[in-house]
Amino acid sequence: MGSTNRKKVGLVFFPAFDWAISSDHPEREERLLYTRDQIVEEGLLDVPGIEEFRPTVADENQIDRVHVCVPSTSEVVTKSHMIAAGGTITAADLVFTGQVDRAFAVLRPPGHHANRIVHGSRGFCTINTEAIMVEHIRHTYGPHLRIAIVDTDAHHGDGTQDIFYNDPGVLHISIHQDGRTLYPGSGFTNERGGPKAYGHTINVPLPPGTGDEGLLYVLNELVLPILADYQPDIVINAAGQDNHYSDPLTNMNVTAQGYAQLTELLAPDLVVLEGGYSIEGALPYVNAALLLALAGLDYSQAVEPDFPGDKIRQRPQVTETVKTVVGELQNMWVSRRDVDLGRIFGEGHIFERQRSIYYDTDGIVEEQKEQIRLCSVCSGWRFIQSGASRGFGRTTIAAAVLIPRHVCSECENQAQDLYEAALKKRGFHYVYLQDAGNDIFLKAQRKSGTK
Amino acid sequence: MGPVRKFYQWKQLISNCRKVCFMYILGIDVGGTNTDAALIKDGAVQAVAKVPTKHHHLIDSTLAALDSVLQEQDKDIPFQLHLSTTLSTNAIIEEQGDPVFVLGIPGPGMRIEELNLGFDVEVLTGSIDHRGREVARLNSREVRQKLAEGLVSKDVGLAVVGKFSHRNPSHELEVKKIAREMVNTETDGFRHISLGHRLSGLPNFPRRLATSFLNASVARRQAGFADMVEELFTKGRNVKRIYLLKADGGTMTLKDSRVRPVETILSGPAASIMGAGSLMTHKDVNTVIVDIGGTTTDIAVQVGGLPVFQRQGAEIGRHKTLVPALFARSIGLGGDSEVHVAHESKNHIGSNNSPKFVLGPRRVGVPVALGGEKITPTDAAVALGLAALGDQKRAQRAIAEFGHEIGLDAKTAAKSIIGAFVNQLKTAVCEVYQYLETRPVYTVTELLAPKDIRPRLIVGLGGPAEVFIPMLAKAMDISWEILPHYQEANAVGAAASRPTAAVTLHADTALGTVTVPEMDYAGEITDSRGFNIDQARLQATKWAAKRGKQFDITDLEDIAIIEEESFNMVRGFHRTGRIFMIRAQVRPGVRRVSASKGWADEHLQSKPTLRRGQSQDQKQEEFHG
Repeated sequence: MGSTNRKKVGLVFFPAFDWAISSDHPEREERLLYTRDQIVEEGLLDVPGIEEFRPTVADENQIDRVHVCVPSTSEVVTKSHMIAAGGTITAADLVFTGQVDRAFAVLRPPGHHANRIVHGSRGFCTINTEAIMVEHIRHTYGPHLRIAIVDTDAHHGDGTQDIFYNDPGVLHISIHQDGRTLYPGSGFTNERGGPKAYGHTINVPLPPGTGDEGLLYVLNELVLPILADYQPDIVINAAGQDNHYSDPLTNMNVTAQGYAQLTELLAPDLVVLEGGYSIEGALPYVNAALLLALAGLDYSQAVEPDFPGDKIRQRPQVTETVKTVVGELQNMWVSRRDVDLGRIFGEGHIFERQRSIYYDTDGIVEEQKEQIRLCSVCSGWRFIQSGASRGFGRTTIAAAVLIPRHVCSECENQAQDLYEAALKKRGFHYVYLQDAGNDIFLKAQRKSGTK
Repeated sequence: MGPVRKFYQWKQLISNCRKVCFMYILGIDVGGTNTDAALIKDGAVQAVAKVPTKHHHLIDSTLAALDSVLQEQDKDIPFQLHLSTTLSTNAIIEEQGDPVFVLGIPGPGMRIEELNLGFDVEVLTGSIDHRGREVARLNSREVRQKLAEGLVSKDVGLAVVGKFSHRNPSHELEVKKIAREMVNTETDGFRHISLGHRLSGLPNFPRRLATSFLNASVARRQAGFADMVEELFTKGRNVKRIYLLKADGGTMTLKDSRVRPVETILSGPAASIMGAGSLMTHKDVNTVIVDIGGTTTDIAVQVGGLPVFQRQGAEIGRHKTLVPALFARSIGLGGDSEVHVAHESKNHIGSNNSPKFVLGPRRVGVPVALGGEKITPTDAAVALGLAALGDQKRAQRAIAEFGHEIGLDAKTAAKSIIGAFVNQLKTAVCEVYQYLETRPVYTVTELLAPKDIRPRLIVGLGGPAEVFIPMLAKAMDISWEILPHYQEANAVGAAASRPTAAVTLHADTALGTVTVPEMDYAGEITDSRGFNIDQARLQATKWAAKRGKQFDITDLEDIAIIEEESFNMVRGFHRTGRIFMIRAQVRPGVRRVSASKGWADEHLQSKPTLRRGQSQDQKQEEFHG
């Protein structure tokens, strides 16, 4: 095991001991208590090469590069979210300034279910911490950096997928429990990204009961070859820990050793904690094992005290299903450039899709219509119309024009026109323009409202 | 805290102070070079003394300092003795401690070999989890076998440390019991047994291992020292009580030092900080204490009148421990530091780029003014007339020569050296605050509204302080104060220190358990539903009082909760209990001491106005190099 290859690791640890979604919610004060106890008792913070850092607080500008918060960032996002996002920014800065080789952001609340348009909180997430980190990296350290996100949370990273849906600069691989059996019910192999980033979204749905064996098979046979092919400048691991055998919300059988091996093989530059709600049985041991693996230390004895041994051994049917899924995705990756995009996105100038998005945490239903310009030069503007209602409340309708990085002048001009037109159009309560490349975020509110 | 309660606490503090202050207290700090002694009574310094330290006869030089400070006094005056010694510190740094057989019970987690502890650990099976539940039992046959191996040689100490033993000490206690049984039947037994949980209620298994190892390794030496002190120091003198100073600036009885000798490490730096704290005029403002010596400068921090502690514990030699210690940073900059010229500037002689000086980190020897060969910051000060020391002419000549080589006139060179000193010192002080202000915090409240720890006052100690502290204060734009008796501030600090004792209470209402590791207590909660934060605080306070009594502490009214955590536990969407962690402490702090004879309290009523660093500029004009 990798004790020869020592790495300097920055730990950005912020358990938010005074914040909860509600007192008996899984995302509560107690969640990282036992992780703190374990890390401190193990003496991990005294290990040469492991250093702890305090998170910064993200500002609205950093959030607005990723999200369109309706009605406004300050009304949707709490300070705790800004600290969690700030923690990922701290982690990225530590790595990019060379202070550490790798950074591990153990923060709460998580973020990977937060879409680009944010009306509230879904899947315990309000803003997407990884995405905010990615945009910060591209804004600060180079807009052309190639970034790979490997999301190993048991739930599909649907928010991250949505944000980078048509972004060819980001490869997003989500490995999760099959959406037919778990929230958010998406993340199937046929979700492969937008017209300009087709194949840059890769979903690996795994059957319930998948253990270390299956997870490491996916990594060795699929993820690592794809990464070798893609040649990212930076690898981010969205490290949810809820595919652990003891997690109360999922049905997977991964162990602390499995997580550590995955981390050693993946060798990520940045790791961000996502979900994981077995706060006593899994998190303390998984986080300790992960930290050891990141630092290149011997993690062979970092095992759960109640390790059930053979009881969680992966069943043969599960192994077969995993192999089938991996085989299918291998073929997809290899043949991704041969796909006739016209058949998927149409031959016209604009691709349009409609979706209904449910915010389980806040009980919001969002209806979304999205248009993407099929541009031959850049990835094209996106125009999103979004209506959200909370129960019997009024429906809030917002329109957002998104200008991609490296936009062509034609798309840029059209996007400006779209924004102007949306401002004039009755029916939108709020109109936004987000231009990540030029770091511009505009917001307008209709004074009279609609009738 | 309401103003009324605060008033009573204040009143209590003063009355406590008066109770004790009627007795003479004699403080002694054994340093590397000198042994300092100070006698205080009624909150005022009565006498001070200084004698050279004899390293191989510590007791002799300590007695000499004691008698020297008592010289002017009536032979029979009753006094309380506070000793700060380097005995344990030196034994650890010079690796002269006794061999220790260390038994660790690590359970799952990081491999013990990765810890790089610097001593061997024999591993026992068995494990406890983070809530103090036994996960795997000890194997008593294995324990006996290992103990028998350890008992082979004589003069061996034993340290027994389990992971999470601060949450459940039963494994450590069981090993000790078995060791005792074996001693009766088989051998002479271990000289000393240190159990991890008794030395600290804080988490950190590797540090608990190191703390217990060090404790066992210096125990024999400390016991011998205690025997000699009891015998020799009381002979012909009216010593009422003897206390030893600890790294946290508190005191412990001589008797306790036999059980927990490791707590006496690094008491010297603590003595200086406590001395500064007791002598300074404005005790409640945020203060940076800067002790400038010949080789190094020590920087310590007080916030609201209380010293800042190390985050987890003292570090000594290669060991990281859980011994509570005051925070201090030492930098390689002092009055005798080497003066370099930064290389890139050397190429620009005659140009507008004036040479840049870099001082330290090495010491070159005595200043030229005192017969040395290489110039030092002290020489620059002497040459400019800022300090009266040795041969000024000699210093001026040396500075002039040095300046000539790099194209500077003597006065500019001297001023630049002084400027470089102040700059480097300011940078170091800023780095200390930068470090303290970015220490991790775990709540949203603390992160968003951090406590204001920025200094309003610099307190200077040490020989060169009079020259540099006013300039540093000017550069930082805050007030300053140079302490009277700064040369014996450490001894005054030793005398002014009060006993401290802390306990850690961990209660888990879901399991129905309460533990206070320092007291060997592991009990049950009878009424889990009724057990709330108030009860947890009350119990912690009671245990702190008990602990205080064990330590012969008389001022038990002043017990404070210093740390507190409480968490709802939810399992399967239902609340199943609460977890409490409370640390209660018999409050440390110092007696207030004034430089002159009289009541310390009077001193407080008429605070002199703080000085601002200005006065030195005029003096500089006197020297025309």
